[in-house]
Amino acid sequence: MTDQMNNETPTHAVDISALGRDTEQRDLAKEEMCLEVKDLQLYYGEKRALHGINMKIPKNRVTAFIGPSGCGKSTLLRCFNRMNDLVDICRIEGQIMLDNQNIYERAVDVTELRRRVGMVFQKPNPFPKSIYENVAYGLRIQGINNRRVLDEVVESSLRGAALWDEVKDRLHDSALGMSGGQQQRLVIARTIAVKPDVLLLDEPASALDPISTLKIEELINELKDQYTIVIVTHNMQQAARVSDYTAFMYMGDLIEFGDTNQIFTNPGKKQTEDYITGRYG
Amino acid sequence: MNVSVKDWFKSGAPWVWLNAGAVSLCVIMVIGLLGLIAVRGLGHFWPSNVYVTEFENRAGEARTILGEITDEKMVSATQLTSAGYQVPDNMEYIPRQLLKVGNRDVYGQDFQWVLGTSINSQHSPENMIVLERREWGNFYGTLKSVKQAGEVIASTEKDGFEATWEELQQRIERALAIQEDIHDIETGAIGSINYGLERIRLKERGLELQGDMDPIKLQVLAEERAELDAEYDVLKEELNALYQQAQRDQVVVETIQGNQIEMALSKVVLAYAPNNMGVFDKIGHYFGKLGEFLLDDPREANTEGGIYPAIFGTVMMVLLMSIMVTPFGVVAAVYLREYAKQGTVTRVIRIAVNNLAGVPSIVYGVFGLGFFIYFLGGSIDQLFYPEALPAPTFGTPGLLWASLTLAILTVPVVIVATEEGLSRIPRAVREGSLALGATKFETLWKVVLPMSSPAIMTGVILAIARAAGEVAPLMLVGVVKLAPSLPLDGNFPFLHLDRKFMHLGFHIYDVGFQSPNVEAARPLVYATALLLVVVIAVLNLAAVAIRNNLREKYKSLEH
Repeated sequence: MTDQMNNETPTHAVDISALGRDTEQRDLAKEEMCLEVKDLQLYYGEKRALHGINMKIPKNRVTAFIGPSGCGKSTLLRCFNRMNDLVDICRIEGQIMLDNQNIYERAVDVTELRRRVGMVFQKPNPFPKSIYENVAYGLRIQGINNRRVLDEVVESSLRGAALWDEVKDRLHDSALGMSGGQQQRLVIARTIAVKPDVLLLDEPASALDPISTLKIEELINELKDQYTIVIVTHNMQQAARVSDYTAFMYMGDLIEFGDTNQIFTNPGKKQTEDYITGRYG
Repeated sequence: MNVSVKDWFKSGAPWVWLNAGAVSLCVIMVIGLLGLIAVRGLGHFWPSNVYVTEFENRAGEARTILGEITDEKMVSATQLTSAGYQVPDNMEYIPRQLLKVGNRDVYGQDFQWVLGTSINSQHSPENMIVLERREWGNFYGTLKSVKQAGEVIASTEKDGFEATWEELQQRIERALAIQEDIHDIETGAIGSINYGLERIRLKERGLELQGDMDPIKLQVLAEERAELDAEYDVLKEELNALYQQAQRDQVVVETIQGNQIEMALSKVVLAYAPNNMGVFDKIGHYFGKLGEFLLDDPREANTEGGIYPAIFGTVMMVLLMSIMVTPFGVVAAVYLREYAKQGTVTRVIRIAVNNLAGVPSIVYGVFGLGFFIYFLGGSIDQLFYPEALPAPTFGTPGLLWASLTLAILTVPVVIVATEEGLSRIPRAVREGSLALGATKFETLWKVVLPMSSPAIMTGVILAIARAAGEVAPLMLVGVVKLAPSLPLDGNFPFLHLDRKFMHLGFHIYDVGFQSPNVEAARPLVYATALLLVVVIAVLNLAAVAIRNNLREKYKSLEH
């Protein structure tokens, strides 16, 4: 990434105006909120990985988390659907509110939460089943086995993930025969098939080639009308291209969170500026 | 030179040679093993020529014997001299032939050693016959006449060998057909009548035990019994008639020493004249014998006939064992790997499981006898089969307990293989399923277990390989020398898990060490060993085919 930085303008690594996005400044305070993080602390054993995060994720917007490796952005993302529960030594303090309900309360049904907060991982992870069964998986888990309902949802989800035209003739072939980019879009289709409110994308394009990356980004743009999207990315260009809001994290702290245009053109903090101009990370 | 040797070592070539050498050695040993048992075992069915051998015995008297040459050995002269033989002075080693002379009823033994130097002549004349009999082993000699109810029908003196032989063959065929009918009635129809009668007796006893002496119920049972008894009487008549018919014909034969023997044709299974047979006749005969070996019941304390019940028993037991061990091992492995908190306790359990695989198999046999048969089986009998007591139903060695004992014996293998498979499923796939709102159980059931099924099959393959070859524990928990009936038949409930069964491995031991005629049975030991290897190989290949199919289906993600 550093080589790329050197070729760009010296002050700002990402030339925001060259990306063709609107230059309108959004105001976070006026947005309708979806997720609210309150003083979230996360420990791996003795080590504290998140130091009291406070933030609000706006509804039907794309929020990007950026920051150097190990800053805690993926960890934070995995808190939103309690994926960190799977790590034995992980301990969490604080609250995350989803529709005014703390998802870390005892009464919360984790499976229901995960249905509402879908997640797409860094590497495409389709199941070793047919394309159709991959998309239908979440519904079958909920006990929906009606053929007509499944057919309908599979088609609409695959269309939603811009994959339908490519796979409609081989729905019953193994998903493992698809290309990496197709697999990743299949995983997105699989996730939106259960109609979640929030989509968590954990570096969804980092294992893909540039053309597949472009398709994923276009897809994110289309999906943001219906879903609240949170994306973790290493690629600042990508963050600048797809997101409405950007959060910069460093060493387990949320340094700055605001409108993407503002973060990339006029960062409020010295650390943010250092990062986006490529001084470290 | 020094430098080049050093370079050669550095190049790594010596290691390649070493590894390749080790592999070739293994291959040679396996091929050698299979070759040895195949040659020794399969040669048994070939109808070798019979030789008339004239020789002088130890006392210097002239003797004539008739038999097949089964073995030839070199023996040291000093050993023979000390045993009282006259040997030429200039020879250090002397050849010695082992002849199978048969006629155990006449000679008392089937085999005779003859010194090569004492043989005056050896030739294989035509019209020498071999009779395979139901008792006393083979007969070697010449044909005299065929009789029907004491009347001579054909004799070699009057009608010539060919005509008499033809007559004999036809009548043997007839006798065999009658024997077949008798066998069918005895094991089939009468077998099910006996089974039915036993069930009625048990029902009656059951009513008695419950104190329910309802005369109507007893009346019904009595009627059923009368019906079966009537059926039995009819069959008994039929059977008696068949026995009468089977006794009709006799054959008169003569040993090479001139003793005439008359025997009933119903005692003869097969007659052939090896010296008159061409190569194609012999090949036909060979495959006939091979078929008999594979598909017939054993005769004469297992030393003759076939080993079908043993093949059936082995396959049945292994299949039952696999059906029992797979769910058991998989469930245990899933708990150990997926649910149990990883710590000292799980580590200790894992070590214990691995060590279980090293416990001598006879110990499992003792455990099976003490726990399964006496404790579990005894309790089952008390609870569910009180009417049959004191005769045990499940409180005695049987197929169920043998399979269960072997399942316990092989479960560590399945656990280890399954755990290995579970640990290799990528975390990403599990998370993908969980992220869709699946519970841990759903993720296991729908994604993880199917993906680890090839590894599970590997465990099952190893379990089959181990279980099919075990003999020691089976001797305690269900295998017998001769089982009267197969564990699967036409009588309800078809699969009789309480029955004892035969097993190829035990058959080898039995024929090789327990038979009255070890020398005669030795080729059968090799043939049975070969068959055991083939059966295990077939079972394994079937499992491997299933595994490869699964592997193809659940090919791991390509990253």
